[in-house]
Amino acid sequence: MDIFQSVLYGFQVALQPLNLIYCFFGVMIGTLVGVLPGLGPAAAIALLLPTTFKATPVSGVIMLAGIYYGAMYGGSTTSILVNIPGEAASVVTCIDGHQMALRGRAGPALGISAFGSFIAGTLAVIALTLVGPLLAGIALRFGPPEFCALMIVGIMVLTFLSSGSMLKALMMAAVGLTLGGAGMDSISGKYRFTFNIQALLDGVGLVPVVMGLFGIAEVIENLETEIKREILTTKVKNLLPNLKDWAASIWPIIRGSILGFFLGIIPGGGAIVASFASYAIEKKVSKHPEEFGKGAIAGVAGPEAANNAAAGASFIPLLTLGIPSNAIMAIFLGALMIHGLQPGPLLMTRAPDIFWGTIVSMYIGNGMLLVLNLPLIPLWVMVLRVPYYLLYPLILLFCMIGAYSIGNNAADVIIMLIFGIVGYLMRKFRYDAPPLVLALVLGGELESSLRQSLMLSRGDFSIFVTRPITLGFLIVAVLLLVVPIITQRKKLSTLEDSP
Amino acid sequence: MGRADRISGIFWLCFAVLMIIQSYHLGLGTLHKPGAGFLFFWVNIVLGIMSLVVLFRAWAGKKGEGPQPAIFGRQNVSKIVFVMISLFLYVLLMEPVGFIPVTFLFFIYLLGIIEKKKWYYTVFVSIVVTVISYLIFETWLQSQLPKGLLQFLRF
Repeated sequence: MDIFQSVLYGFQVALQPLNLIYCFFGVMIGTLVGVLPGLGPAAAIALLLPTTFKATPVSGVIMLAGIYYGAMYGGSTTSILVNIPGEAASVVTCIDGHQMALRGRAGPALGISAFGSFIAGTLAVIALTLVGPLLAGIALRFGPPEFCALMIVGIMVLTFLSSGSMLKALMMAAVGLTLGGAGMDSISGKYRFTFNIQALLDGVGLVPVVMGLFGIAEVIENLETEIKREILTTKVKNLLPNLKDWAASIWPIIRGSILGFFLGIIPGGGAIVASFASYAIEKKVSKHPEEFGKGAIAGVAGPEAANNAAAGASFIPLLTLGIPSNAIMAIFLGALMIHGLQPGPLLMTRAPDIFWGTIVSMYIGNGMLLVLNLPLIPLWVMVLRVPYYLLYPLILLFCMIGAYSIGNNAADVIIMLIFGIVGYLMRKFRYDAPPLVLALVLGGELESSLRQSLMLSRGDFSIFVTRPITLGFLIVAVLLLVVPIITQRKKLSTLEDSP
Repeated sequence: MGRADRISGIFWLCFAVLMIIQSYHLGLGTLHKPGAGFLFFWVNIVLGIMSLVVLFRAWAGKKGEGPQPAIFGRQNVSKIVFVMISLFLYVLLMEPVGFIPVTFLFFIYLLGIIEKKKWYYTVFVSIVVTVISYLIFETWLQSQLPKGLLQFLRF
């Protein structure tokens, strides 16, 4: 099938009424999750995963994808109106978006972030359509050593970009790998790290861990420091940006889309880094850098475009290589596996309906978001008024039901609660959770590819340096480890502290 | 982060040592045929070394530091503990007592006792949440939530 035919087939799948409904629910729930502070897309996807069990894999995946890019839209609404980012990728939008709102320009700020997101989201999906098959073709030639090295690079990039200490991030990756080893060893059939606990025989499930680390831990943290929210009481009007706004925004949107796409494609990169990088670039190229921080529309348009493009692009490594590029994609990988699918280069030929159906549903979902979001902004503002004392019991209840319904098993709920406490302590002691999650997901695959490589080479480690692709990956991994030690690492995340 | 790093460094060091022993007992195998514990043995040796680095850094930075800020804020710790206890009770009681009564009591506890809202508000919200969540998850999504004491109703 050439690309044109494939996309046509994707439309056939995505336009089926049932899939359209799931796509609609996905983007609606995603926007809601984006709006609500204290519930990020990672926890939301994990939470709602059990609700897709009754659906076909295609419908389920379409809905989960919708939640992810929908959350990117929703996150900006709270950033602009309340100065609280609904999720991490919208932190930057607070800076100029909220300033615009304070000056009575909340409407154009919300409008340009919706349009910017739409344009970037669509450009990313077009690029995904073109690049995806190409990458999958290359990946078909990969053997166990290449995959092993690629996964190591993925983990290294994520630890390199982590917001805290890289050493601690690497430690969390090691803990995640070890947790991934719990349960039965697929090669020898031995039980590992189960400590005679019944619940550990099947291993540590990804979904309860993610719900604990990102959902429960977030609630506990918010209970400690009560969130105070001041909602802008002025009416939001003039959502459509005027010509002057467009002139100031169009190039930031295009630059943000391109930047976001490339950062999203790199394992470990993603929406958060992309939005910070775009803000920095726009401030640098602007003729009026002094306006940044005081309500410059380019400071809203660029980062919003970048985080949406990155969200779209982060599907590329997952769907073509089977490598999740961030914590959210790691859960997505888990979701695909639960639906009986193995993401990787073969996904496109074995399950073209999933691959093309999901991609095309993103075009449709982006359109839905644009049409839905502008008129629904008053509704989201109402959602924001839900007090936290009502919100946190609901989030907790949803986590409990979600974890229970994975396998109708109370043990999963207990694992989730334990990881909730662990996650809270990790936040307190400044350890990042995403490397742990990524390593937990990749653990099994990484171990089997390492063991297969060593069996192939009869125990000779030189198999990792004699194959050019593997060697290339490993050089990148080593550089990521060594560069920060040699030079004083100037992290993108330090931007977070500067405004 | 001096004291916090000392505490967490010791914790992860103990974790690594425990896992090294476990992996060793699982069998490391040979390089030709790596065993079940091979990867985890080496990963946890690296983890152990990294925790030592965290510990040494924390100790080296100890001198010349002023009084350390508390790791946990004092004011709401009791609230967190009470909420966590209710969550564990929820899991333990969910199967024997059933989803409907436990969810109702959970909301009564959180809104009425922890948040100290007015009783009629608390009861109203608890009933609404219980009914709606049951309808969404059991009736619509067929999640098979435990019926417990209400088994006889068969609805």
